[in-house]
Parts: sequence; C-alpha cells; structure tokens
Amino acid sequence: MFIQQLANGVMLGSTYALVAIGYTLVFGVLRLLHLAHGEVFMVGAFAGLQVVLWWHFGPFVALIAGLVVAALLGMVLEVVAFRPIRKRGNSHLAPIVSTIGAGLVLQEVMTKVFGAEQTPFPSDLGKIAYDLGFIHVTGSQVFILAVAIVSMAVLHFFVTYTRYGMAMRAASENLQVAAILGVNVDNVVLVTFAVASALGGIAGVLVGLNFNAISPYMGLEMGIKGMAVMLIGGLGSIYGAMVGGLILGIVEVLSVAYLASSLRDAFAFGLMILILIVRPRGLFQVGIRAER
Amino acid sequence: MLRLKTTLLVGAIALAGAPIPAMADVTIGVLIPSSGKGASYGQQQQNAINMFMDKYADIGGKAGKMKLVIYDTRGENTEAINLTRKLIDSDNVVAIVGPQFSAEAEVAFPLAVRGQTTMITPMAAKAGIAAANRPWAFRFALTTGNVYGPLLDVWLKKNAAKPIKKVVILMDGKDAVSSFDGKTVFPQILKQKGLEVLDTISFQTGDIDYSAQITRAKGLNPDGIVVSALYNEAAHAVAEARKQGMKQPIVAGVGINDPRFIQIAGSAAEGVMTGSDFFAEDPKPAVAAWVADYDKRYRQKPSNAAGEIYDTLYLMRECIKKTGIDGKDVKGDRVKLRDCWTGMKDVEAPLMGKTSMDNNGDGVRIPTMLEVKGDKFVVAQ
Repeated sequence: MFIQQLANGVMLGSTYALVAIGYTLVFGVLRLLHLAHGEVFMVGAFAGLQVVLWWHFGPFVALIAGLVVAALLGMVLEVVAFRPIRKRGNSHLAPIVSTIGAGLVLQEVMTKVFGAEQTPFPSDLGKIAYDLGFIHVTGSQVFILAVAIVSMAVLHFFVTYTRYGMAMRAASENLQVAAILGVNVDNVVLVTFAVASALGGIAGVLVGLNFNAISPYMGLEMGIKGMAVMLIGGLGSIYGAMVGGLILGIVEVLSVAYLASSLRDAFAFGLMILILIVRPRGLFQVGIRAER
Repeated sequence: MLRLKTTLLVGAIALAGAPIPAMADVTIGVLIPSSGKGASYGQQQQNAINMFMDKYADIGGKAGKMKLVIYDTRGENTEAINLTRKLIDSDNVVAIVGPQFSAEAEVAFPLAVRGQTTMITPMAAKAGIAAANRPWAFRFALTTGNVYGPLLDVWLKKNAAKPIKKVVILMDGKDAVSSFDGKTVFPQILKQKGLEVLDTISFQTGDIDYSAQITRAKGLNPDGIVVSALYNEAAHAVAEARKQGMKQPIVAGVGINDPRFIQIAGSAAEGVMTGSDFFAEDPKPAVAAWVADYDKRYRQKPSNAAGEIYDTLYLMRECIKKTGIDGKDVKGDRVKLRDCWTGMKDVEAPLMGKTSMDNNGDGVRIPTMLEVKGDKFVVAQ
C-alpha cells in the first residue's frame, strides 16, 4: 500500500512540477512573478477538452491543442501584461497586479463560456488498468508520467543545447548584459513565455485526463501550489522545480493517506516554510549573480 | 416610500387571492423565497401552489374554501421573522406552511411556538430544527437519517448474495451536511444494522486528487463503500475507486442526486444507490401524471421543492377536513391543527405516499430508492 501511495504522489507531483517549471522559467529570465500562469494552465486544459469533445480526438491531439493554445496565450500575456510595464521601468509590483488582472479576466471569460461547474474529461485511457500486484496503475497514469518525463527531457535539451536555450540562460544571468552582447531580449522573453505556458498547457490537459475535473477555478489552487514548488526547488531553477514538484506531491498524498485530508495543504505549505527556513534559496541553489 | 410599500402589500395580498379572510374560510399562511437567494425554489413552489389551488382549494362542508396568504421571504432570516409575526398576529392564519430554508426555519419556529400556531416547513433539511421547537413546529421533508435507514436496508438486501459486514465511509469533511451525515448519521444507522465501520476517510470540497484516500480504503478491504458528499466530490471519489479496481457495491448520501454525478463519474457511477424524497422520473402513475401536468404548464421538470410544498399543502387540507375546523375560532383551530399534525399516521400524500410524523416533528415515510442505470437514475427494484 505504501508503494501505491508513493505512486499516487508521483502522479500528482509530476503535474505540479510541470506547472512550477512555467513559473520558474519566467522568474528565472525576468525576475518577475507571472501570476496568471495558473489561468494559462486552466485555459490549456479547456483547449484540450474542446478538441476531445468537438472532434473526438484522442489524448495526444488534446495534448497538442493544450500546448499550442497555452503557448499562444502566454505570448499574448507577455505582450499585453508584461512588456509595456517592463519597458517603463523596474517595478516589481506592477507586473504582479497586471498579471492578477489578466488571470481574473481569463477566469471570468471561461466561466461565461463554459459555466462555473466542473466538466468531466472523457477519455478511455483511465479504463485501461495494469494490476501488478503491489501496484495498480491506469493507462492515463502511464501516459501522464511518460508525457511529464518527455516534456522535462525536451526542456532540458532545449535549454542546454539550442541557440534560444542558451540565449535564455544568458538572459537569466543578466538581461542588460545579454542585450549588450547582441541577444534579442524581446524575442527571448517571448520564447520563454511560450515554452513556460506550453508546459502549463500540457499540465492542464494531464490534470484533466487523470483527475477528470476541469473548471475555470482550477488554475487558482494549482497556481499557488506551483509557486510553493518554485520556492521549494529554488527560484529560477528548472531542476529544482522538477524535484520540488515530486516532493510536494508525495508529501501531500502521504499526509492524506496516513493523517487526514484537512491537513493536505497544511503539510504542503509547512514543508515550504521549513525549506525556506533551513535553505532560504530552496533545494537547488541558482548562481549567486542571478540573485539580484 | 410608504405609499409604495402599501401598494406592494396590497399587490401581494391580491396575488394570494385573499384580501381579507372571509368568514367561514380557512386561511393558511405560506412563506416561500420567490426572489433573492433560492428564487428558483420559490418560483417552482409558486407553480406547485397554483396547481394545488386549482385542484383542491374547495374543501367543502363547514370549512368552505381554503385560502392562502403567500409572502416572499427572499430567503432572508429577518424577512422570515417579520412575515411570520405578521401571519400570526395580523393575518390570523390557522397554520403556516414554510419557511423553506433551515436558517429561516430556525428563527421562525420559536415565533410559532410563542404565537401557538402550527408551522410546518416543507423542505428545510437541517437535523433537529423541528425537535427544538415542539410542539408547534413540524417538517414534511425526510431528514437524511429518515432516508438512510430504509436506503441501507434495500442496499443490504440487494447485496445479500455477498453479504456486506464491513464498510468504509468516504465523506466530504468541508461540506456541513455531508460531514454531519458521514460522521454521525451513517455510523449510527450502520451500527444499528450490525455493520462495522472500518474507517471514515475524508476529502475536502474542491479536491481533485482522491488517489490517497481510495488507496487507503482499498487497503482495508471492505465489503461495501458508503459515500457522503455532494455530486462533484462524490463522483470523483466513486470514479477513483473504480479506477483503482475497487469493485465493492457503493451507496451514497442524498447529495449525489443530480445528473452531474453521472456525467462526471461516467461508467463508474453504474449501480451506485441513493435515496430521495421526491423523484420526478418516478414511474408511479400519480407522480408521472403530476410531473406531466407541471411540465405542460411551466415547460420544466419540477424539483423536490415543488413536490414537497404540494404534498404539505395537501396534508394540511386533510387535517382541516379531519378536524372539521371552519376558521371562526382561530385560537381553537390552531390547537386542533397542531394535534392533527402531531398524531399524523400513514396519511396518503398524493406524490410521496403514506406520511407519518415522528416524536421530533419530522416526517416519516418510505423514500424512493434510486440506482444509477446507464446514464440516469432509475427507481431501484
């Protein structure tokens, strides 16, 4: 039973990780909080759902739809809610407020269009079950884990080996210096938003597939959890977000399994506070120079 | 402002069709939420009242016609208090049907006790509200406790081939009614029936991940599962249980009685049982005919709220007939009606059947047992 609970935690944690990576990518490059990221995740989930409902496509197409729509939405948010403020000067507060506003608009629009109630996500993957004796997994869980691992691996290669990845890392070291050295900062920021939001959209579809519940308000809680994971893993650290997500998922599931469901969030945020006390920079320390 | 108020008042009374209670007419007060919070309940109830009056207004004999004074509480406690006072002190009604919400009933019932007037709420659900205001307060609706007893009997009988001895309760710890049912009502009834509760496992309203709870329940290897939650959370819990390979029979509280439960849980909902006071798709001829008539007039399906006020008014009429009151001696009539409700035993209500009152002033009858078959609820056989 313990192994099954660990598996449950990994499933939940891998979606947290994907959401947290989005936060941490944006924060890593801009040193700004993108508080509409939870809503991007939610819109991605709805995009995936619509593809399934309207054209009866399978989960792969849903995933691509969620990815594309979320990436486009992320770029729009950059242009509308971040860039004008960024150009005007170095305010940390203004983008926070503007992204909260953008998030609320997205939430309200989705409520108007799809209603406030939860919508189920039709999928046959959940019905395929593998019983290995000590552990019981469904097709959708295998799919989620595979997609999460592949997405993180692709991200790793993108950041490490591609030109845009390198430019992103340069920009996260120092935006001004990168600009002086010939990096087109506006483009890099736009790509960062696209990649971060695409991962959020993937996470949205995965959550829809696994937990079968999509609602305009799902982004709120996931957004807060994503931020907690970012803090646990270390601000701006992609690998920190991956590990932090898994840790948070496992801690939550174990607290529900062996204590009580009302303690779920208490443990999640208790862990965050504990890590911030013991290791203020989070589990994975990012370069000192990046910490301005 | 004063003029406006007077006009409104006159309007309200005119709507009720009884400007001044004429002699030899029995006048009943009705409190419904026609606007504000829960307005859809109130509007449905107004429809049901119209249907009732078309058919049953004429009592005949000494009582003459049954008159209703209907006021809108807007679902607000202060309005419920003011209007209850008004019905008792100035409208001189012999009894009051309403208010509809538990919070309203809690504040209005004490006034009925003080004013020595029978007051019966058709639908308020909270446990103990009538019991706290004996002997004048009553409730027509079944309390969850009065639903779950017969429900568990049917559930156990249905699974007699593989008897259920040990159960796990899954409940929403954040929803007031669900957690009260899960922690208090279900365990009590299960114990009475000789079942063992292995564990009570909670989740929270709005949760999306139920894997940990279900894995824990699965580890206990129960013979059956009891779910006490509203339709969203119950659907997720049931779906997760089936997903993790739990095949045990499931019975659930009244909160799942909504088409969305089946929509969200999908095929996992198959066979899940619950109970309901009123079921619009009940094939019973009396119900089917009434629902068809309601549908024809108002182009929608009636809910619990409509059915419950219809039957409550009918039982009130039966009491007026039985006691032979004529509305001339209001004080005496109020006592006679109270005694009629207190001693009510197996009186046939047109929609929900033989109804009695227990010592708490709560209605008792056999609820309709429901079971998910295909993509809808059907009456369990």
